[in-house]
Amino acid sequence: MRLELSSLLKVIGDWISSLGLPVWLVDLIEMCGAAAMVMGMAFLIILFLVWWERKLSGHFQQRLGPMRTGWHGWLQTIADGIKLFQKEDIIPKTVDRKVFYWAPVICFASSFAAFACLPWGKNLWPTDLNIGILYIFAITTFVVISLLMAGWSSNNKYALLGGMRSAAQIVSYEVPLTLSVLGVIVATQSLSMVAIVGAQEKVYNWFIFRQPLGFLIYLIAATAETNRAPFDIPEAEQELVAGFNIEYSGMKFAMFFMAEFLNLFLVSAVAVTLFLGGWHGPFLPSWLWFLLKAFFIVFVIIWFKWTYPRLRVDQLMEFCWKFLLPLAFLNLIVAGFLFR
Amino acid sequence: MAYDLPVLSGIKNLLIGLWVTLRHLFSHAVTLQYPTERWPMPERSRGVVVLLSNKETGDLNCTACMLCAKACPCAAIMIERHRGDDKKWKIDSFSVDNSICCYCGLCEEACNFDAIKLTPKYEFSTYDKPSLTYDMHRLQELGRDVAYTPRVRKTPAAATPAMTATTEAGGASTPMAPRTATETPTNSSEKGGSA
Amino acid sequence: MREPAAGYSEEFEVNMGPQHPSTHGVLRLLLRMDGEIIKNAEPHVGYLHRAIEKICENRTYPQCIPLLDRFEYVTSMSTEEVFCLAAERIAAIEVPERAEYLRIIMLELDRIASHLIFLGTFSLDLGAITPFLYCIRERETIMDLFEMTCGQRLTYNYIRVGGVSQDIPEQFLPLARKFVDTFQHRVDDYEALLTENPIFLARTKNVGIVNKQVCLDYGASGPVLRAAGVEWDLRRDDPYSIYDRFKFEIPTGTVGDVWDRYMVRVRELRQSNEIVRQALDQLPTGDIKAKMKPLFKPPVGEVYARIENSRGEMGCHIISDGSTKPYRLKLRGGSFCHTQLIPEVAPGIMIADLVAMFASLDVILPEVDR
Repeated sequence: MRLELSSLLKVIGDWISSLGLPVWLVDLIEMCGAAAMVMGMAFLIILFLVWWERKLSGHFQQRLGPMRTGWHGWLQTIADGIKLFQKEDIIPKTVDRKVFYWAPVICFASSFAAFACLPWGKNLWPTDLNIGILYIFAITTFVVISLLMAGWSSNNKYALLGGMRSAAQIVSYEVPLTLSVLGVIVATQSLSMVAIVGAQEKVYNWFIFRQPLGFLIYLIAATAETNRAPFDIPEAEQELVAGFNIEYSGMKFAMFFMAEFLNLFLVSAVAVTLFLGGWHGPFLPSWLWFLLKAFFIVFVIIWFKWTYPRLRVDQLMEFCWKFLLPLAFLNLIVAGFLFR
Repeated sequence: MAYDLPVLSGIKNLLIGLWVTLRHLFSHAVTLQYPTERWPMPERSRGVVVLLSNKETGDLNCTACMLCAKACPCAAIMIERHRGDDKKWKIDSFSVDNSICCYCGLCEEACNFDAIKLTPKYEFSTYDKPSLTYDMHRLQELGRDVAYTPRVRKTPAAATPAMTATTEAGGASTPMAPRTATETPTNSSEKGGSA
Repeated sequence: MREPAAGYSEEFEVNMGPQHPSTHGVLRLLLRMDGEIIKNAEPHVGYLHRAIEKICENRTYPQCIPLLDRFEYVTSMSTEEVFCLAAERIAAIEVPERAEYLRIIMLELDRIASHLIFLGTFSLDLGAITPFLYCIRERETIMDLFEMTCGQRLTYNYIRVGGVSQDIPEQFLPLARKFVDTFQHRVDDYEALLTENPIFLARTKNVGIVNKQVCLDYGASGPVLRAAGVEWDLRRDDPYSIYDRFKFEIPTGTVGDVWDRYMVRVRELRQSNEIVRQALDQLPTGDIKAKMKPLFKPPVGEVYARIENSRGEMGCHIISDGSTKPYRLKLRGGSFCHTQLIPEVAPGIMIADLVAMFASLDVILPEVDR
């Protein structure tokens, strides 16, 4: 008998309920517990992803990446975190203080809040909203607001340019992003993440085979959503020095940094859920399959970054509106016919 | 842009690019993990300047002919000398300022007595600039373990009168005014302060 | 501060440099921009001026060479060559065969190294970071070849008046042949990553066009001129050294945009590889330096010598007054003329295009500022 993680959690949940506490307290403890676990998971993922991106980028370029901090540099993220933590938090005099403070918080919080809806494994989801995918796309839109807040409040023309470019890019690419997943939703007749995973039990049912164009459009739009190359004009160092987060230092900068990696994992996890069969897979525990598949998509996105040059801003927009969007519509029409 | 781009060839070239980076992902990294691994420097590599000594007697090969100081384009070599009892030049001090030296090797080429050489040593970083001026003893110590093939063209005894004749005659067109008795390079902290 | 009138959008000034991850050296570009479009770009140079020409007036000819290495440190061999060519012309010295062949090998390897730096930094400016590391890896082999011959990786002090300073060691030939044989495949790799990549094409085709008339007006030379369609290469049209013994093509472009300049340089990489291969095959034995007096004192005279550098025409004008030091030494670098192309091409393009265009001109600031 295999020890399933979900049954372990169920045992803990039953024990808390049996303590005779009032119902609202039991609910509160369970919610806080789930949030704490997801937060712990998020931090571990950031830890791993920062190290992994640096190692992968090193090996793509035939060099080694971090090697000194721990075995093959696996403690590098912790070293970076300590460094950012002890840095002086410089706030220029002319910034709009409230907006300046809240921008990184909103960025991090919105990326993190979407984690509540992901199916991490069999019976291992914090919550199963019946509007799961809609919730995820809606809450990640707050990132746009935080970027505009960061750009505007910094009182710096570089930051403003960077912030406005980012906002325009993210808002534009959300349209093909959402349209590309509509094909999957039409097939499963449900917006719930758990139901979408449930519809992909057999490998030949995975939506990557039934909706290949949708998957490609999703992957491209997701790369643009997370501001990564070839769509990383807002962060392009060679153009106008780091864009919207110029004036941020110390822990606030760390929050933007972490939010970027959380976002990266989030779009990969959503790709896995929608197109790659979620946590289904033989032999290994379900949460391990989920993580492996998600990290594979993360690997593909990192691979794109270190291979391609970047597009100019107007080419980026042109690509989105004149190329991806018609393709996404075409995909939706075809899906409508296939899955009626 | 979107519609006159041939889509299929574009996708094919994007995939070819991905394949190139994937190939490099699985190839051996070329990084050298300094300082645990060091690159074996070629023997002609031009690093720090040293003074060479005779292998048997241990004395310096230098005869204080001042050719290296004149050849240096940066005036990094400072020599003080006096005439000894046997009419030969004796070195009082010989120092090389490594913060000025540009490691061109002209001093090594000018020397006729295998006295000065540029070695492949390069690890000489310090925290204070005056300590970059090496005096005669330091230069000699650094040169003790340096192997060299002697290329003495003239014996020192026969060469010296001719050498001094050339240097004094060519004094009018000496490239650089060599730093001899007028400046005192031994007070390296003073020099370091002014530099 | 300008008052925005009704219906006007306000222009603002942005300072790009002198420290900037994108500009190739310490160049300050004062941009007047309207949103994303540049209205005017003014280059401010002089941040790297080291008075090399003045210092050389107080150094003998052999002592000038280490200094001139630093004039254009990316292609030190070309600078040494043009100076030695000029000095040899004044003094009518004939360089031995083997020395000429060694010079050609070093010059062409230097050209390959310089174009690899161009390729790397150009793709870095466009956002593709990986080709930079690959080019640097190639360059390591070239620098190993240089280090085993003359002892330095960057400022060589190798080409002297009358020949070269040292003969190549015995490990040089096998390593050089290995490099020459594998280099074509490496260039294929870089081309696979960039040349037909649709993103790269979108960034570089029809961007930053410098046509033939503008090139000729501003005195552009080298790959910038050849990309505009003018087939002019000093190695063929004003031959120096023994270039007439080698078979190589002169790649040209058509339009004069960024892609053409990139393509011309990539093809030149292949051609230089061929020249090195031919030189290695034809390498004779013999002296490496002409018989000269120990102290080089050229007769009174004036000469201008020019060579085809990887950046264009590099020239050296020496006025000799009969002493051991040059009376006047003037250096001409291609990058100085190319920097003047920026205010000509910049108005009306976006800042990302300016970055791509400037990277494609392959301007080296020490050559501009001296």
